[in-house]
Amino acid sequence: MKASAKKYDRQLRIWGAHGQTALETARVCVLGSACTATETLKNLVLGGIASFTVVDDAKVHASDLGNNFLLDSSALGKNRAAAVTDFLLELNENVAGSYVEESPAHLLASNPRFFADFQLILATQMTEGAQVDLDQICRELQKPLICIRSYGLVGYLRASLREHTVIESKPENTLEDLRLHKPWPKLKEYAASIDLQSIDDITHKHVPYGILLLKAVELWQNEHGSTLPATANDKAAFRAMLKSWQRLVDGVPVEAENFGEAISNAHKLFCPPSISPELNQILEDERTNLTPDSTEFWVLAAALKQFFTENNGQLPVEGSIPDMTSTTDMYLQLQRLYRDQADADITTVETHVQALLKSIGRNPASIPRTSVAAFVKNARNLRVVRYRTLKEELQLDTVRSDALRQALAAEDTQANASLYLLLRAVDRFHSTYNRFPGTFDGELEEDVALLKATVASVSADSGVGTAAVSDDLIEEIVRFGASELHVVAAIMGGIAAQETIKFITRQFVPVGGTLIYNAMASTTSVLRV
Amino acid sequence: MIKLFSVKEKQKKEAAAANGKGVKQSAGELRLQKDISELNLQKGMSIRFPEGKDKLLHFEITMKPDEGIYKGGTFTFDFVIATSYPHDAPKVKCKTKVFHPNIDLEGNVCLNILREDWKPVLSINSVIYGLQFLFLDPNPEDPLNKEAAEMQKNNPRQFESNVQASIMRGHHINGHYFPPCK
Amino acid sequence: MNGADRWADLNKLLTRPGKITGPGFEPDPALLDFLQNDARVLCVGAGGLGCELLKDLALQGFGNIDVIDMDTIDVSNLNRQFLFRMKDVGKSKAEVAAERIMQRVEGVTVTPHFCRIEEKPMEFYEQFHILVLGLDSLEARRFMNQVACSFLEYDDEGNPDMSTIKPMVDGGTEGLKGHARVILPGVTPCFECTLWLFPPQTKFPLCTLAETPRSPAHCIEYAHLIQWQQERAGDEFDTDNEEHMRWVYEKALKRAEHFGIQGVTWQLTGGVVKNIIPAIASTNAIIAAACALETLKLITMCSTGINNYMMYVGADGVYTHTVAYERDPACTVCSSSVPFEVASTDALQQVIDALVADKTLGANLSAPSISHGAENLYMRGVLEEATHENLSKPIGELVEAGGVIQVNDKKLVSTMRVKLKYSDLASMQQ
Repeated sequence: MKASAKKYDRQLRIWGAHGQTALETARVCVLGSACTATETLKNLVLGGIASFTVVDDAKVHASDLGNNFLLDSSALGKNRAAAVTDFLLELNENVAGSYVEESPAHLLASNPRFFADFQLILATQMTEGAQVDLDQICRELQKPLICIRSYGLVGYLRASLREHTVIESKPENTLEDLRLHKPWPKLKEYAASIDLQSIDDITHKHVPYGILLLKAVELWQNEHGSTLPATANDKAAFRAMLKSWQRLVDGVPVEAENFGEAISNAHKLFCPPSISPELNQILEDERTNLTPDSTEFWVLAAALKQFFTENNGQLPVEGSIPDMTSTTDMYLQLQRLYRDQADADITTVETHVQALLKSIGRNPASIPRTSVAAFVKNARNLRVVRYRTLKEELQLDTVRSDALRQALAAEDTQANASLYLLLRAVDRFHSTYNRFPGTFDGELEEDVALLKATVASVSADSGVGTAAVSDDLIEEIVRFGASELHVVAAIMGGIAAQETIKFITRQFVPVGGTLIYNAMASTTSVLRV
Repeated sequence: MIKLFSVKEKQKKEAAAANGKGVKQSAGELRLQKDISELNLQKGMSIRFPEGKDKLLHFEITMKPDEGIYKGGTFTFDFVIATSYPHDAPKVKCKTKVFHPNIDLEGNVCLNILREDWKPVLSINSVIYGLQFLFLDPNPEDPLNKEAAEMQKNNPRQFESNVQASIMRGHHINGHYFPPCK
Repeated sequence: MNGADRWADLNKLLTRPGKITGPGFEPDPALLDFLQNDARVLCVGAGGLGCELLKDLALQGFGNIDVIDMDTIDVSNLNRQFLFRMKDVGKSKAEVAAERIMQRVEGVTVTPHFCRIEEKPMEFYEQFHILVLGLDSLEARRFMNQVACSFLEYDDEGNPDMSTIKPMVDGGTEGLKGHARVILPGVTPCFECTLWLFPPQTKFPLCTLAETPRSPAHCIEYAHLIQWQQERAGDEFDTDNEEHMRWVYEKALKRAEHFGIQGVTWQLTGGVVKNIIPAIASTNAIIAAACALETLKLITMCSTGINNYMMYVGADGVYTHTVAYERDPACTVCSSSVPFEVASTDALQQVIDALVADKTLGANLSAPSISHGAENLYMRGVLEEATHENLSKPIGELVEAGGVIQVNDKKLVSTMRVKLKYSDLASMQQ
């Protein structure tokens, strides 16, 4: 880890040493060895996964040399999985790799246990039927599956797993809860201990805005009963009060930065951050009713829920505060108060965790304090992603046809929802005619007519029978003729690697539905069908 | 989108006479031309372009406060403008050693618009106003030279006489020598 | 190996008609031939995006690619710049990248240029049909923008002359975010039009660093910006010098301990001092491929293109958004210059008087200053004395026929660009 810290510096800044450790112990299986597979693998090998295994029986063809960077003419005619493995191993000496010369379809029929050895399975360029079979195997083994395809100027990605829980979702913008509307006693005491009247001018200009707001709300509540400023008039009056506290020099109020910050941050007091709908769902999830098999995440969630209920809907204090214009001492003092309270709250949650573990017959010490602390610190941003099986998505009685119909009707998703139907249609076309539409130059017009009919039947089987897929798009799909373009593979490989890393590191939030990438318009849509 | 290339003609563009074309100045310099053409220098201030009138990225501004504690002194600031101007603020250093709460002995200047509050709509004029203001109203509450700030706060008279002594005759303050800068 | 077999996938797009294509698309096997033999593309940067771009362009059939980069390979590049190996550390990025691409993709010629982009003459940039940017600094983007825009010519009605448009495709990434954009100077906004898309870096007040540090970053910046000058005056600080970085880290650590501030680490020190942008292979792959595809579309019109800015966010699911930004009509780099006719023998003073007297142009002029390129011909105010003598010189001696002058005036919100036509030298202007 240390030796590679330099090499991985730019990514360690994203997922940290613990994320990197997770990657460095991950074994990934990739089905297929064409460029969509190799572009994915290239990114994962560079990032430093433990090992990969490529499964394919295809030989290297001339057309591979026009879209696959990992192959050159010396590999023509050889097994493609073997050839790409050689090059992939060159990319990172810390990664191990192997290949299996067998057709993916054959392997999943003959040896489903094969997949048990891996953390995650990536299926590339696989048709619908094989994807469904593989999904069933991966569900039983509880392994995340990611299916990707590059089809002309269209890309497809679908992950599948019963449930993926994320503690570190790392949202870009977070609203910290400074608890200004409901300060705990020690915070209140500290704010009260600072006497704005008696401190010297310089200290007056360096009282952190958090304290100024606490003092202002205390005064406000003394005068207005224990309510917070609610109306526009109230809020203006509140801000004016803060403004009036600034000191005068020669009779003129001097604009002080800390007061400016207090005024512009007063909204944090007026509307404290609410619980996200995602967190609300987690707290209400039936899995918070623990069983002996509950995962660590749900034990922690149940403990958090208990804390939440016992504290009148307050989450634990997060412990970090934003920078505020202040003297070093006052800022550090304030920071310490938040840290201490965060520690105390972690201890409370930890006590709940131990009791809950005991109640389901598990070792009360089996979840360490560091895990409790990480969970509590990220409580506001916890996420759970659940996937339907591929089969559920494909069957008329289980497909969410309303969602699909809506996507087909809405202007911004119309084209991409049509592409979704068309990708399903080309697979049905393939199983009927044993070739993809547009494979041969001489049959383009004929294939357009056949594909039109196939799309109609797919639409009917998806409960969106009347939906019209534009003729232009149908013709375009035939024009693509199942081509695998390098750049589309590179984009899908990039997204697939990113999603794989999310599953392995348990950081960030994976795509929760079926992703369609439209390279014609350079747009993406996520369909929840 | 527009069609730019015609394959059929395979037209190789004439190597058009590059005369009059070319990147002779950065977008930052273009903007600086505007700033400099609009520069307001008040009485007693001067500007010097050490590399000539066509090299605007480096210049020196000299100012002589005519009121306040620093009255009588002559202070020179060195301006270095990056080609990324006005995205990035000018880099300004005080070349005259001065006992001032907001200017340290290395010539660093603590002025908000030079760092945290810089915006591309500001100009060289805004920076010069800011610097002038520092001499009229030194701010001991956000100090860069703490000794100067403390003396100004605790003993304004001593501070003023020290500043004036250093400007007029040169003066040792707390072990540092400040040469005269009349 | 048969070329048609090798490029079978790409050829479906190039040789088959379609309804969702760019304007004037004509399917033709000659398109591949054009890509392989005639199209000239310059890849600016051979780093995270550059390595991907070179691979993507080569596998999109481009047969002649140039790449320019002044950097050498660093260990921290290896997590994403897949053309480089540990043994290449210290070598030129452009040269190693070019060699690796040619090894792997048969028939492609990649010509490396191991130098700064500013070192190349305009004739160098002129030879390319399209410029593809894989850069990480605004400064380099602004330079390339000026290069591309300097070829642009407008007709007298102010419409861009299509044959002078040098298209640019630009990509950028930061962590799991990125953007791809297409710049057709004169048609879509240039970098200068949308400079506000790049927020200035956060800078801490010096007095906070000196007197009231509160965060580990404050301690690091104090050591970097202030302590270094105090304790190592005369020693130029170099972010690539490990000893210098170590010194800053240790001083920052001491300062943090002194104040009781937690969190100064070696990693954070690098991040703060060098303003390191986190970077991973996957985002670079996605953005570079999106850029390469737009490049292919611009050259062949085989599909519709981005209008004109696509952002990608991969942290919470996958989210993309396309925005058609608008040009700044007053942009000092890509807007059309106003044609203005004078005699080459007129003195500069006469030209200025004529500008002020002009019915339309003069409305916003009271006391104009005139520059030509970096040369200040006549400046009001502080440079008046230094430029005064030019007023009596004939304009033809100061500005070539068809040359563009910059006019600044307090009444103007931004610089006005005027293209001088000489009535007495009409034949020289085609």
